[in-house]
Amino acid sequence: MNQTSDKKRGGKFWAWFWMILGILYFFLPLVATFLFSLRAKLGVLSFTAYQHVFNDSNFIYNFSYSVLWGVLTIIVGVLIFVPTAYLIRLKLPKFRLPVEFITMLPFVIPAIVYVFSLVRTFSQPPLLIVNSPALLVAGYVILSMPYMYSAIDTGLRAIDVQTLTEAGQSLGAGWGTILFKIILPNIRTAILSGAFLSFAIVIGELILAQYLVKPAFAPYMTYLIQQKAYEPAAMAIISFALTWAAMGIIQFIGRGSEQGQIAGGH
Amino acid sequence: MTHLALSKISKDFGGTTVVQDFNLDVKKGEFVSFLGPSGCGKTTTLRMIAGFEMPTAGQIVMDDVDITNQPPNQRNVGMIFQAYALFPNMTVTQNIGFGLQIRRESRAVIKQRTDEMLALINLEKHADKYPYQLSGGQQQRVSLARALAVRPQVLLLDEPLSALDAKIRVSLRSEIRAIQKTLGITAIFVTHDQEEALSISDRIVVMNAGEMEQVGTPFEVYNFPQTRFVANFVGSLNTANAEVTDPAKGLLSVGGVQFITASDLAARKKGEAVRVSIRPERFSFLSEHKKDNALDCVIENITFLGSVVRIQIKIGDSNFNMDTFNNPFLELPKLGSKEKVTCSKEAVLVLDE
Ligand SMILES: Nc1ncnc2c1ncn2[C@@H]1O[C@H](COP(=O)(O)OP(=O)(O)O)[C@@H](O)[C@H]1O
Ligand SMILES: [Mg+2]
Repeated sequence: MNQTSDKKRGGKFWAWFWMILGILYFFLPLVATFLFSLRAKLGVLSFTAYQHVFNDSNFIYNFSYSVLWGVLTIIVGVLIFVPTAYLIRLKLPKFRLPVEFITMLPFVIPAIVYVFSLVRTFSQPPLLIVNSPALLVAGYVILSMPYMYSAIDTGLRAIDVQTLTEAGQSLGAGWGTILFKIILPNIRTAILSGAFLSFAIVIGELILAQYLVKPAFAPYMTYLIQQKAYEPAAMAIISFALTWAAMGIIQFIGRGSEQGQIAGGH
Repeated sequence: MTHLALSKISKDFGGTTVVQDFNLDVKKGEFVSFLGPSGCGKTTTLRMIAGFEMPTAGQIVMDDVDITNQPPNQRNVGMIFQAYALFPNMTVTQNIGFGLQIRRESRAVIKQRTDEMLALINLEKHADKYPYQLSGGQQQRVSLARALAVRPQVLLLDEPLSALDAKIRVSLRSEIRAIQKTLGITAIFVTHDQEEALSISDRIVVMNAGEMEQVGTPFEVYNFPQTRFVANFVGSLNTANAEVTDPAKGLLSVGGVQFITASDLAARKKGEAVRVSIRPERFSFLSEHKKDNALDCVIENITFLGSVVRIQIKIGDSNFNMDTFNNPFLELPKLGSKEKVTCSKEAVLVLDE
């Protein structure tokens, strides 16, 4: 009796120990970076570095492009993966596992290898599009695919795709109407979570933008690290804050439509 | 006038035939039920009418138009699903108006028609609610209104009451029937519940293993089952093995006991083995009033079923159920006692196969 409760208490202690260690491991560098970013002025803590960052037109320029790439990635990703995942759930269940495997490939192919292949393939005729921003966005769509696809697929699993589709069809709706007026609104939360994950990935992505030579936040920050001390730290904190704000928005919007999701699950 | 005609419809799924040689003419305004056990092909047949499945062979004609290969969204059919299938992101009003919007009706028409439908299903107060805020019965009524709003040529219902509890099931059933009659709409209703089919239909198609067993009014199907399957599936029926002893006089031997039947035995030979069936309510205790069959029996068991008392009797070696209406003055025999029961010769049905 006593022994087991001792054991339990011991287990609890170690659980807490590892959790706190994990949190420290994660947050300590952030806190350190944050404190460092405040020391731009000798002897006092100040937000000078942040002021510099926000007054830096290059930062604004590069960061805006990253936001643009992120938004385009989300739009293209949704347009490609929603119909795909929908079609597989509805008509091609045989292909579910192979497609799931394919969507996971970006996890096992290093980005540097991928970008090298992109440049090799698309920098000679007839596929001379290496300079087009479309190639960058296409690359981002691939990189964010594991998150986007699985988020959408999870959303589709929560609704009765087949019956809703057939209900729409019997009322005269075509595929476009069914997809955009029935399916899409009912997996909104899932799409949003996929979208924000994609966004976070694009904001932090370095290799693709660097090798395809496009303006973006991460390459600029890398460049700045070699020039300055405090500003890159401030920038890291800003990007982190923006990413977390994105997560917060997911939570918020997710809560708003929770009831709709429950209803869909009936 | 034939409104919907299914001719020689069959359907294979990867080599397995699940519907075979299905033939049916439905009149305008008729309420037809497909009745049969789970897996007998009712849903598949209904889905072929809706256009969700394409028949492997055969033809579907609606109002003289061959719709066999038309996609579902070009057929003008309304579909009601067991799981309601309301659009979770839309309110009741939006759900009902969806089909009208697809048809690009004007806003005034949509408003007028949805109001009409809301009144029809008595849910005016819930017009702005979302499906998850409604009970199952209310959701199914909304789905009925949604299907009817576009004035379909035929309404298809696939076990629409199965997910509801018993009380609602019965009240919604009569509501559906009343609305169907009011609008004069043709309806095809799938169910595995014989009581449901008997109570709601103009005609019943009894199905078994992908084939039609019998088509008839509830009265015909219940009182004159043509096959052993129908006899067993519709109502509770006694069946027993018998031997034809005199085809001309309609005499049968059931385990050595002689029965007389009104069924035509002209085509049968003396000594041929057949199957007979007798509805439990057709038996009664023998009074002075002499009927065709007077039979000795032993009382084996007595069960109260509310309005009906079911008495298990043994005639010769065969067990039969006998139903008699309950009343406070009913005098029941003792278990194990020997009694005489009777039934008319019309009650003794000789089944095919
Ligand atoms: N899409 C399908 N693919 C393969 N077999 C199917 C399909 N749909 C139905 N079936 C089979 O067809 C038979 C009849 O099914 P169904 O029409 O749903 O029966 P019911 O509605 O009478 O219960 C069943 O054995 C079922 O497994
Ligand atoms: Mg079924």
